This record gives sequence, structure tokens and C-alpha cells, in this order.
Amino acid sequence: MNFKKLLNKRTNCYMAIVLLLCLLTSNKASAQDLTVEGVVKDASGLTLPGVNVVEKGAKNGVATDFDGKYKIKLSNSKAALEFSFIGFTTQVVAVDGKKTINIVLAEEANSLNEVVVVGYGTVKKSDLTGAVSTISGSTLSKIPVASVGEALTGRLAGVNVTSSEGSPDSEIKIRIRGGGSITQDASPLYIVDGFPVNSLSDISSSDIENMTVLKDASSTAIYGSRGANGVIIVTTKKGKDGKMQVNFNSFYGMKRMVNQIDVLSPEDFVNWQYEYALLGKGNTESYEQYFGNWQDRDLYNGVKANNWQKQIYGRTGDVKSYDLGVRGGSEKINYNFNYARYDDKAIMIGSDYVRNNLSMALNNKASDKIDLSFTVRYSDTEINGGGANVQGENAQDSRLRHVVGYSPIPMPGLTTDNTDEAVSSYLVNPFVAVADTDRLQKRKNFNMLGSFSWKLIDNLQFKSEFGLDNYAYLDYRFYGRSTFYARNNPLPENIGAPSLLVTDRKDVRFRNANTLNYDFKKLIGENHSLKVLVGEEMIDYTRNDMSSTIEGYPSFFDLDQSIKLTSQGSPRIVDNFYYPDDKLLSFFGRVNYDYKDRYLFTATYRADGSSKFLGNNKWGFFPAAAVAWKISEESFLKDVSWINSLKVRLSYGEAGNNNIPTGQTAQTYQASNSTWINGQGNYWAPTSVLANPDLKWETTVTQNLGLDFDLFKGRINGSFEVYKNLTKDLLMNFPVTGTGYSTQYRNMGETQNTGFEASVNISAIEKKDYGLNFSFNIGVNKNRINSLGSMSDFGVATNWASTAISTDYLVNVGSPIGLMYGYKSDGRYEVSDFDYASGKYTLKAGVADASTVVGAVQPGYMKLKDLNGDNLVNEKDQDVIGNANPDFTGGFVLNANAYGFDLSAAFNFSVGNDVYNANKIEFTTSSPTGQYRNLSSEMAQGKRWTNVDPNSGQLVTDPAALTALNENTTMWSPYMKNYVFSDWAVEDGSFLRLNTLTLGYTTPEALVSRLGVSKLRFYLTGTNVFLLTKYSGPDPEVSTRRATPLTPGVDYSAYPRSRQLVFGLNLNF
Amino acid sequence: MKHKIIIAGLVLAGLFSSCSEDYLDAPAQSTLDEASIFSSPELARDVVNGIKITFGDTNSYRGRFLPFYGLNTDTEWYNSGETTSNDKPDLANYSATSTNSNMNLAETASGGGGQYWTSMYRGIERANKCIAGLRTYGNPVAGSELGNLLGQALTLRAIFYADLIKSHGDVPARFEPITTQSLYLPRSNRDVIYKQIIKDLGEAATLVPWPNETTASSSVEEINKAFIKAFRARLAMAASGYQQYADGVRRSDDPELSVANMYTLALKEAREVIQSGKASLNPSFETFWRNVNKEVLTAGGESLWEIPFASGRGKMLISFAVVHDAIDQYQTAANGIGGSAGPLPTVFYDYDQADLRRDVTCVPYVYGKAVQVNGKPVAKQELGIMNKWYFGKYRFEWMNRIVSNKDDDGVNKVYMRYAELLLIAAEAANELEGPSAAAPYLKEVRKRAFAPADQAIKVDAYVNALTDKTAMFKAIVNENKYELTGEMERKQSLIRWNLLKTNLDEAKAKMFNLQQRTGEYTTVPVDVYYKYAADNETLITYGLNRGENLNPGSSYTLLVDDKGVSSWNSLKDDKINSIYKVGVNPDTHQYWPIWQVLVAASNGQLDNNWYK
Repeated sequence: MNFKKLLNKRTNCYMAIVLLLCLLTSNKASAQDLTVEGVVKDASGLTLPGVNVVEKGAKNGVATDFDGKYKIKLSNSKAALEFSFIGFTTQVVAVDGKKTINIVLAEEANSLNEVVVVGYGTVKKSDLTGAVSTISGSTLSKIPVASVGEALTGRLAGVNVTSSEGSPDSEIKIRIRGGGSITQDASPLYIVDGFPVNSLSDISSSDIENMTVLKDASSTAIYGSRGANGVIIVTTKKGKDGKMQVNFNSFYGMKRMVNQIDVLSPEDFVNWQYEYALLGKGNTESYEQYFGNWQDRDLYNGVKANNWQKQIYGRTGDVKSYDLGVRGGSEKINYNFNYARYDDKAIMIGSDYVRNNLSMALNNKASDKIDLSFTVRYSDTEINGGGANVQGENAQDSRLRHVVGYSPIPMPGLTTDNTDEAVSSYLVNPFVAVADTDRLQKRKNFNMLGSFSWKLIDNLQFKSEFGLDNYAYLDYRFYGRSTFYARNNPLPENIGAPSLLVTDRKDVRFRNANTLNYDFKKLIGENHSLKVLVGEEMIDYTRNDMSSTIEGYPSFFDLDQSIKLTSQGSPRIVDNFYYPDDKLLSFFGRVNYDYKDRYLFTATYRADGSSKFLGNNKWGFFPAAAVAWKISEESFLKDVSWINSLKVRLSYGEAGNNNIPTGQTAQTYQASNSTWINGQGNYWAPTSVLANPDLKWETTVTQNLGLDFDLFKGRINGSFEVYKNLTKDLLMNFPVTGTGYSTQYRNMGETQNTGFEASVNISAIEKKDYGLNFSFNIGVNKNRINSLGSMSDFGVATNWASTAISTDYLVNVGSPIGLMYGYKSDGRYEVSDFDYASGKYTLKAGVADASTVVGAVQPGYMKLKDLNGDNLVNEKDQDVIGNANPDFTGGFVLNANAYGFDLSAAFNFSVGNDVYNANKIEFTTSSPTGQYRNLSSEMAQGKRWTNVDPNSGQLVTDPAALTALNENTTMWSPYMKNYVFSDWAVEDGSFLRLNTLTLGYTTPEALVSRLGVSKLRFYLTGTNVFLLTKYSGPDPEVSTRRATPLTPGVDYSAYPRSRQLVFGLNLNF
Repeated sequence: MKHKIIIAGLVLAGLFSSCSEDYLDAPAQSTLDEASIFSSPELARDVVNGIKITFGDTNSYRGRFLPFYGLNTDTEWYNSGETTSNDKPDLANYSATSTNSNMNLAETASGGGGQYWTSMYRGIERANKCIAGLRTYGNPVAGSELGNLLGQALTLRAIFYADLIKSHGDVPARFEPITTQSLYLPRSNRDVIYKQIIKDLGEAATLVPWPNETTASSSVEEINKAFIKAFRARLAMAASGYQQYADGVRRSDDPELSVANMYTLALKEAREVIQSGKASLNPSFETFWRNVNKEVLTAGGESLWEIPFASGRGKMLISFAVVHDAIDQYQTAANGIGGSAGPLPTVFYDYDQADLRRDVTCVPYVYGKAVQVNGKPVAKQELGIMNKWYFGKYRFEWMNRIVSNKDDDGVNKVYMRYAELLLIAAEAANELEGPSAAAPYLKEVRKRAFAPADQAIKVDAYVNALTDKTAMFKAIVNENKYELTGEMERKQSLIRWNLLKTNLDEAKAKMFNLQQRTGEYTTVPVDVYYKYAADNETLITYGLNRGENLNPGSSYTLLVDDKGVSSWNSLKDDKINSIYKVGVNPDTHQYWPIWQVLVAASNGQLDNNWYK
């Protein structure tokens, strides 16, 4: 699209919104004489849509609208009104000449009447035919964490939430039923008030009314194109009729690092340096240079060590959160205003996170046929600090490696606070490493939504929605002198000087959807119910990235100075890149039919056209259907008193995925700049990704069988689901290395996820003053690659160790994604494995030789298993040694309340997944380039193999003496030619975490109502309270190599997790 | 009122429900179409720049091909060949496996990583697109800038292919931009590729100016006609030479690539360059190499073309230079850089003692530990041991710049020089026309290698005595050693002469002789003495040359180790045997295997089945 067209569209949209605003403010409606109106609510104050309101003894009747409002013309003023609604006790009220009757219906103890938000509409929970989970905003707001996504941890069956590490803005990975794609993003589609967004991280949980997770294709197919990996629908709070309500919530919390990696003590560090010098350099010169004579080593005994991890990650973080909500309104117009601020000072130096959210919603009932609504949301996030690990960075710049490996004691010449060491030393001071990879990110999101709904005739509703989303992301990335970037990327004259990369990204998204709803209920008789929805939707998404590179700053500059004094560096690249537009045009329809409220049927169909594909491939067609049988409505169960509801659901459907970057169908030339070749730095070259004009939609076929139950008057309810998701024509960014390009997007192969989910809620005790309930969910998912199309199995490298370890993950047909590939550990080579003659150890015949992997073997070297029996350990002896997929995951929540006190404990767990503990490899290995680095205490003296006689300081070669020396040691020698990935570093990552534990107290109403306060609650919440695991690293819930989804579960230089204690209050008045 | 709202609502809804099919077209924006790019010389030049960038990719020519290809020969070897702590020696000792950890590197999605193969094929694809684009949208005739650019692109593509063939034998042939159908290709017969690139260079030579004919061609970093012709001559010799095919070592059986055809072509191209006067030998061998390190880029001299590394990219000196043990007055990059390969110890003794090229080529010392002088680290030359020599053609101490980056020095790779062209002319002329036709070229090469006083005997008499073809050929083979050691050109020459194993075996035998001081080495001294020149940096030695067996007196110090024992004479069996892996026949391992990541990504099209 050209710029002019875009401009026009933008202008149109603003006009539309202004117009809507005008409409909202100017209207009147007339009431007739014998008319009664009012609002129907439930006990909690939520409005009830769909309540039947009938004049008793007469034929006229209406139903309440979406906001629970009704208006009925009466035949006489002495009539009585009957309010009935499934799941609620029917109420009869005499009119007695009143014009307004507001009713609160009492609930039959039963949760089936909840209205659930589904795609483009709502449905009663009891009428659901698809696999859907919900969570309410009030539950979410009780979990004091920064991100809404994180708050979902362990709450919903089949929804696997993992925060990749402990940083405040850490990527939250949400996978619904395992996710289908292999190399593409398997994140679900996030819909906020109908509008698709990239992530949930910019939404405040206090602003959320409820969230719905659509899991099977019968419910996601209405989102057609993008529903293949599940859909999460967020509905934000709307205005509410009635008296103004004010909510104020606030909490303050403190947090500390939980676990760290133990390192060698100073004397042990010095001992190891001596041994390293002897083994690695053959003499002690490099030792004596810094540590003095070996004979004087007792100098270091008892020297206090610098705990670098504590200094970098050890500060006490604090969290402050405030939110204020105001809602209220009249029948004609209601409003909701919400402001939230979240301020998180994290445990790592220089790391913090501040977010402000502001939202406003207005609803106006212009007439009894017309509803207008307008919502504005604004969020503003600022993140300071580079974190511990940035995807796409060189592993050499990972912060944790410096924090663990740095010398624990100051050694003149080796360690220094002077930043000059950045270019002269082996070691990078952890403070320098942190400052040199500093970063500032600012995100701003401005979202405007308007909708217009018109009841054309009885039962026919037209709705038009508009939305405009402005997203701005400013990223300042600083590379100080010690970074790989500074040594390699800048112009020759600026090599080694600080650089700043600035990316200013602007996204604009516009959406319009028009739907027609028709309810046939009056036309086809008592026993039948038929509802039809048809609709049309378009989304236009534009993106523009402005990236600038400034290098050659003065050597002492830090991030702040680089940002503010850009003229002190020399600008090298300014790249203003306009992405191709991402446009979507869709038509869809849905039919809901039920017979006698017993047999339910839903069918949806959607056609999606995407600008990411060409020609006939543009359009994808996604049908789905589901049936449900409410067994409990049958006569044979109707009278069974302990069964409230029992429903079986069966669904089948297709959903699509086009989640690839735009512009993959045509090879284009891109202008870039390089410093590698003399002469002009500018160059034109095709992109490294090869275009593919034949790309088409990826399709997921879902089959789901579910059982919903509600027993003992709602005391026990829940659901079971089994499913099979088959994803075909997988969109993969496929490696085509060696051809001239690195990858190409293709449709190939097939994966499947099969699984089982259960969620059960038990209300054990429900009394006026005390209660106890318990909810539990579990998900079992089996992932399998059915086919890779024309390709054979392939391996993937995480590259955490740069090039020292190549393929360490496998993608094999017939196996799941996430198989770890490496050697099998066989302990170490003992003296007895060798023949000794004239000072030389030669391996005995029959002992496998691992020299090509660990270096020319000697006693004490790491030993690996020879799998193919050729007596040689080489790359052919690698095998699958781990699987990152859990057997099952889930969570349980315990809620108890008594006399104003409430207690809630939320656990989550994962069983059977393996973690690739790369830290353990790195910090137990001293490679030839790793001199002067500290090791983890796994390699402490007495545990590690040693070759040095502690008395003479000489290398021991005599077999008997060497055996005696290492009699009590168990580990191999840390001195190795490079890092080796063996099953020793693969650990069981099963865990049970008490994620949050909350104790609250609500002051008695009598006490506070005199102050005009309707509710006052104080609470104390601990997060990450305890963790049960056998995993030896800091935390098993970790995944730090995320450049592709093919390498899950690697623990390398993760930002340590914290434990947090929060004190907060909820105030309503 | 109500109607107003409804109408307004409908109008709004109508405004945006555009259903036309072209709504879904979303063309790329931050780009230009090929028609615009290739009709504009300014933009097309940037496309050619894009081809050259691939030389500088991390693991391309910069980090892998130049540091490793060309070892080991009877003159050059990997200096840590006896090490078992890593698999780098395998790349040099004819035993590389496809999973060699230095080469079997995965490429990242953004095009980083990989190895020279991925970079070369990226360069080839860029060249293919450039050539096709120029032919379609430009008017690339001789004398025009677009014509010049077409010639450059053709030549760059030929360079990538020539280097792929010499390291792998048969490789996939891609001369058109990739389509989905041509994405995966098997190895192609290298004869097909040789014929194509020889033809391409023929065309390129008509399009590209002679050195200094245009402003751009006044730099050796710009491809010029003299280079194209010389390079074509080199390829002609290689294409018709012996090499390992699947069925063994033989010459090509393609009649077009016969010795008669190819030598004729090589001689013709060489003579055209020689007669053009557009290139010439530098009068001093040493000055030439000093200038290379000084980064003198003037075209029209001895250097025909250089890989144009920017000053922050390229590892020629970091890899091969005379070692600097510490940061000192000549470099502030790192401790212990340079010297990964060096000349065999025998090379020094193969030279005529009067040959001026010997001390430029073979260096027995390193720059040692630095001491602080006026607050700055200063090091001086220190003798090492006999089994470790360094290529003196690459010296930080000859540079104008101080290298401060431990990964890159930025000195260009001299891709071809005039002396090699003279030797090709001599070899082809000898074969086609006899020794007397070859003699002038050989004399020209030798003449600047000797002081004027020595020339009568060492040049004229020496060459005049070569009266039969075989003697002349042998002399050319030797001259190639004297002239080109350290430039990694010898491996391909030994292969095409079918002398690879023969000469490696001979070199091994000679080293054992040297170790034992038998045969031709009986007069080589065991002890070496040294003192420093007035600058207190330059080493003066006694005992390196044959016959320096007396004690030179008290002004000299005997080179000893830390136990006080004379230490120069160290040449161990395992080091000698590392010239090629014991039990491996170099003639069946003339090429590296295709690295496993590439085989794995080839969809079954590539294999190393013929590589035993």
C-alpha cells in the first residue's frame, strides 16, 4: 500500500472515532406510560443478560440485553413481573405502578450459568460445545505479579505458562496444548476486546474483567486464520450501571535472589590456577605472574571471597503497585476508568521495570435499539537493564558467565575496577559486563475501540466495531568496550569503542468487523433454538522500524551518556525500514442450534485472505463443528439429585496459522552497510531468507472429546478433555544452508499433539462464615513430529558455547520436539585404564578412546561411553540423552476463608521434563582459553581429579601415587580441550512450586461502612515460596536459548529467580 | 436522532468493508526492483560490493578458508601439527573428517555462522543474480561502467568456484539464480565448472580495464584485466592438471581441458599480460612484501589483485605473521598472535644462501616477552627452536598501523602476483615450445632474487644449463617453492603436477635427515649463537647457515633453554610425522570432505562417498 492510501485510512479511522464520540454524547429517548424497565443482576452485582421477563398472566415478555437491562410494556399497571433464568431462582415482583424495577436474582448453587465470552459473542457456560477455560479478573488481580500471562501459571488445564527466566520483563511463553508449529511461533492468538495484540505484557490485570481460553478448533475456528495455536480472549472492564464504585488496590513487596551457583573458595581457586598452569602451559609462569610462588600459597588461606553473584543479583528488589478503578453510570450511559502503576526494582543491579496503564470505557444506550461503546487504553512501559541473557546476542556476552567465572579475589593485573581491563584482560569484571550490555526499552501502546450495535428488527442485531492500535517501541542497546559486538562490528577506527543501537519501531493496526446476529427462537417452535451469526472483518497492520547505529563513543561513556550525547559518537547506519503491510480480510459465520436444550450443535465457517500469500494461496477456509449432549437433561437423570449437570462434547475443526514475517513470497534486494570490505560500505544484497512464492496457510485439525460435570449442587465440578491436534503444511523457517541462503519459509511436514486434560473444583466446606475449596488441573500432552515433508531428520545447535558444541538438539520424525543429543557419560578415565611405560600413559586395549572429544586422554579425563562398539568415542557415539517435554504439568489452588480471613495457596508442577544444565558444563570446564576463570564448587578440591602433589607442587606421573592421590575424588579433571555435552548435564527438571501463598483479612463491614467504605481487605502474599526439585541448578523452570522453538529447556546464564513477599490492601468505596 | 446514528453507523461500516481483491496485495516497501538497481551504475556497484562482503564473513575467507587452506605441503605446514588437543591439525594433515569442529559449523537464520562454503555460495548467488540482472536490465558493454561491473561479478564468481573446486573437487554448479527447483543440487563434474568459469573470465577480460586505465582500477583491490588474464591462466593449468577424481588421480578426460588446449590458453593469456606492460615485478622481493604489510594498494605492479579486507577485518597476520608473544611496540591486540603455520625447517636450507628471498620467507625468531621502556611495552626478536619457523612475508613490524584487535588485522590477502604468472608462462612455454622458450621467464623471476654480483652464475648460468624439458620443469617446481612459500599456492600446484605424496614423502625424509644431520644436512650446525644489533631489537645469529660450526666468540651468546642446555636443535619425530597423518594417503585425500552440516542440509544430494 502506498503512503497516501495509508494516510487516508488513518484519517478515516480518526474521523470515525470522533463521530462515535459525538454520537455518544447527544441523544435522548422517550419512555411510554405503561412501561417498566430495570436491570437484572446476580448477587455479586454482575448484570445478567438473557433473563426472561414476563408479565404474569399475559403473553408479552422480553429478555434482558447484554447489560442485563430490560424494558417491558405492560397491559395493566397492576400486573406482576416474573423473572426467570436458568440456574437462578425465579422471582415474581408486583409492579404497583413503579417505573423502574431492578432485581437481584439469587443463584441456584451452580456455576453453569456463567456467561462465557467466545469469538464474536458470548454463550452460557452450560451451552458450550467446545473446549474452553475461563479465569476471572478478580482471580487474576489477587496474584501480585507484573504480567497477566505469568498470573495464569498453573491455573488452567492445558495452558502451559513458563516464564523463561527471572527478569521482570522476561518472556512469558504460553502454549495451549503444546502448540503445533515446529519452527514458527506457537504462541496463541491474543484478542483484547476483539482486537488482536502481540502479547499480554502491556495489560494491567486490574483492568481485566475476564479471560477465556479457546482450546479446540470448534471454538477457535471462528478466528480461522490465526486460531491454530489456541486463542486467549481478554475482555476489559466496562462501565456498570448504578452508584459510582471506587476500587483502590495497592501492594508493596520485597524480593531476594533464591539460589546461586556455588563457586570455589579463594584458596581452592588459587590451587586450581596452579594446576591449570601446569597442565595447560606446562610451566608455572602464568601462575606466578599473578599469584606469586606456589610455596607462598597459604597467603590465600582464609581470604574473604567476593561473591560476585550476590553483588550483581543480590540486591533487595522492591515492587510497588497501585491501581484505581472508578465505575458507575446511569441506564443511558456508564463508564469505567482505570489507572494502574507497577514499579518493579529487580534484584539485578541496573534492572527495573515501570508500567503505567490508563483506560477508559464509555457505553451509551442511544435508544432501545442502539448501543454505542467507546474504549481507550494507554500503556507505557519502561524497562531498564540488559537482563542476563539476550536472544541473538553472542554467548560470550552472557552476564552470568562473568559473574560466576570472575576471580573471587582481587589480583593486581588480572582483576581491576578500571574499565581499561575491558580490552586487556581475559576476565571481564562483572560490573563492567553488566554496564557494557546495558539497555533501555520504552513501549507505548495506545488503543482506541469503538462499536455500534443496532437492533434492526426483533432478534436481529447488527454490530460494527472499529479499532485503532498504535504501538511504539524504542530500544536503546548499548555495547560497551568489553562486548563481542564492540570488538567485531564497528568500523575499524571504532573497534573497541562503545556503540549504541537505537531501534524505533512504530506499528499501526486498524481493524473493522461487522456482524449480524439472528435468533430464530420464535420462529421454529418451543423445542428448537437456532442462532446464526455472519460477519466480515478486516485488519490492516503496518510496521516501520527506524534503526540507527552510532559507534565510536568516548571509552568511558555509559548507556545514559550515549543516549543523550549522540553527537559524541559517529553515526554509521540509519535504516528506515518499512515492512510490507500485513492485511487480513475475512468472512465468517456461525450456527448454534439446540433441541430441547439437550442436544447442542455448533458449526462455524471462516474464510481468511492474507496478504502474506500469493494468488490462490491467499485464501484459507476453516470449517468446524461440534455437538454436545446434556445427559443430565434426559429424563433418566433428571431426578438424580446429586447430578446437577453432565455434558458430553465432541468437536472437530480446522484452524489456520499464518504467523510468519511479511514479505516472504518475493525475493527482494535490501540495502545494508558493512565494515568488512575496503571501499564503499553500502551494499545491496538479497535477504538471507530465500523467498517462496508457493507459501500457503498452515492448518491444524483438532478433534476434542470433553465431559463437563457438576455434582452435589455444584460442590464438585470440572471437566475432562481428550484431544488430538494434527498440524499439517507446517510453516517452517527451514535451513537451506550451503545454497546461498540460510533459510526459507516452507509448508512442510506434520506434527501432532495428543493429550488429556482434567480440571476439578471442589467446594469442601461452604458455610456463612467459613469455607474451603480446592481446584486442581492437570494436562498431559504428547508431541510427535509425523513428517518433515521432503526433508530428513536434522539437528539444531543452541550455540551457547559458541562453536564448541555443535548439534545438541534433534528434530526427528516420530519423536517430539526438544530431544537433547549428546554423549553418555562414563565417569572418568582411571589410572587402571592405562598402561604406564617410561612416563607415558597409553590406553589399554579394549578401553574406548575419547581423545577426539575430550582431548588426548590421560588418567582423570572425562570418560564417555562408546555406543557403537568401535572402541573409539567420536561424534558417532552421540545419542538422545534428554527430552525437554514434561510428562504432565498442572497446578492446584487451595482457598480457605473463615471469619474475614482468607488463605490461598497456588501450586504449579511439572513432571518428567529434562533440563540441559549448560551452566554446569561451563563452570566445571577449564578450556585452553579459560585460564584464570573460577569454577563451580562441583569441581572443588577433594571432588575433582588432581595431578598435582600437594606437598611438592609437582605433577604426579607415577601410577600408584596418582591413584592414591585421587582415591577420594569423584569428578574428572576440569582441564579439557573444550566443552562436552553429556547426559551428566541433563537433569530431571520435575518440580513442585508453591507459586503464591496469600493470607488476607477483610475488616467487618460494620466497622468500615461508617467511613463510607464498602470493603477493606489487607493481605500478605509470598511468591515462589518454595520449590521441590532434584535439579541441581538454580531453578528448573528455565529456557534461555529461544532463538528457535526447537531448543527448549536450556539453562545457560539465566536471570536468577527471586522470592517475593508482598503486603497489599484492597479498598472499595 | 436515531436515524442519524444509524446512518452514520452504516456509513462508517461501509467505509471500511472494502472487499476488493487487490486489498490483499502488500508489496515490499523498503527495497528497489531489479530494473532500477541494474540500470544504474551507482546502485549496481553496491550489488557488486554485496558479493565482496562475503569474503569478510566471520567464518569465510577471513576466518576459515585463508587460515586453513593450502597446508601441508613440502614447504608449508601447520605449526602445531603434533597437537592432539584439538582437530585443527586434521585440516592440514590430510585426515579431516566431515565433522571437523572448525568447519562443521551451523549457519544461523540471519546468515551468520556457517563456514567458507556457505559464504562462497552466498557470494555465488549474489553474483548470479547480479550477472542475470545486469544482462536483463542494464547494457553491460565493454567500456561502460555496467560492463565493468559485469566483468567484476563474473570474476568474483569464478574466484569462489576456483576455491571451492580446489578444496572439494566436485561441487554443485550454480550459474543461475536459485529457484525452488534448483535449491538442492548434487556435486557437479568440476570439468563443467572449470569450462564455465574459464569462459566467463574470457568474457570478463573484454569488459574490465587494465590497471590504471580508470580511476577505480588504480587500486589492487579492484579487479583489472591483468588479474583476470593471469587468473585464467592459473585456472587453465589447474583444469588440465592431475587431480583426484572419484576413480583416482588423473588428468581431466574432457578434450576441451586437454593439456594442449589449456597450456596454450594459459601461455596466451600470460604473454598478453607480460606484453601489455601493465604489470611488473617489484625490483625488490623484500620491498614488495613490506608494501603488502604497509597496505600499499597501487595497481600496475606485482600484486595483481588482493582480497580487499577493510582494516578491521581479515586474519592474514593474526594467523600467519611472525609471532608476537606479548603486546609490544608493534601490536596491542593480544599476547601470542601469529605463527599458526610456517615454513618447514628444510626450506631454509633448500634456498641458495645468496637467495635474497630466503630471509624474507623464513623467520626463526619471535618477538618475545615485552619489557617496559618509558612506560611502553617493548619486545625484541628471540630465537625459538628449529622445528618452528614463521612466514616472514607477514610481519606486524612492517605495518604502518598498530593492530589493536585480537581477531582481525585487516591486511589484504594477495590473491595473485606477477611472479606466479611468470612461472606459469615458463611452465606452459616449456611444455609447448621447449626450455628455451621458458628460460626468459624463469630468468626474470630469479634475477631479482639475487644481488647483481651473483646473477651471472645464479641466474644466467643456472637457467642456461636447463636444456631439456624435464630439467626445466624441475627447476620451475623448485622456483615455485622459493618464490611462493607462505602464500598457500603450492598445494594446488603439487596436486596438478601429481607430486603431492611424492614431495611430502621427500620432505619428510629430508626432515629426518636434518634431524640426524645426514645427507644434505651434514654441515648444518647444532648450536646457534646470537647477539643484538645496535637497535637492541634485531637479532644477529651465527649457526643457522651450513658450515657455521665454530664458536663465534664472546660477543655472541649460545641459545640455551632454562636448564642451560643448547636448545635450538629440536626436531621431534611426532612433529616430522605430522606433515601428513601416518596411515593416510594424501593422494586419496587431496580434498576436504563436504562438511557434515552441509551434507545434512542438502536433502540427500551431497555426500562424501568417494572420499575414503
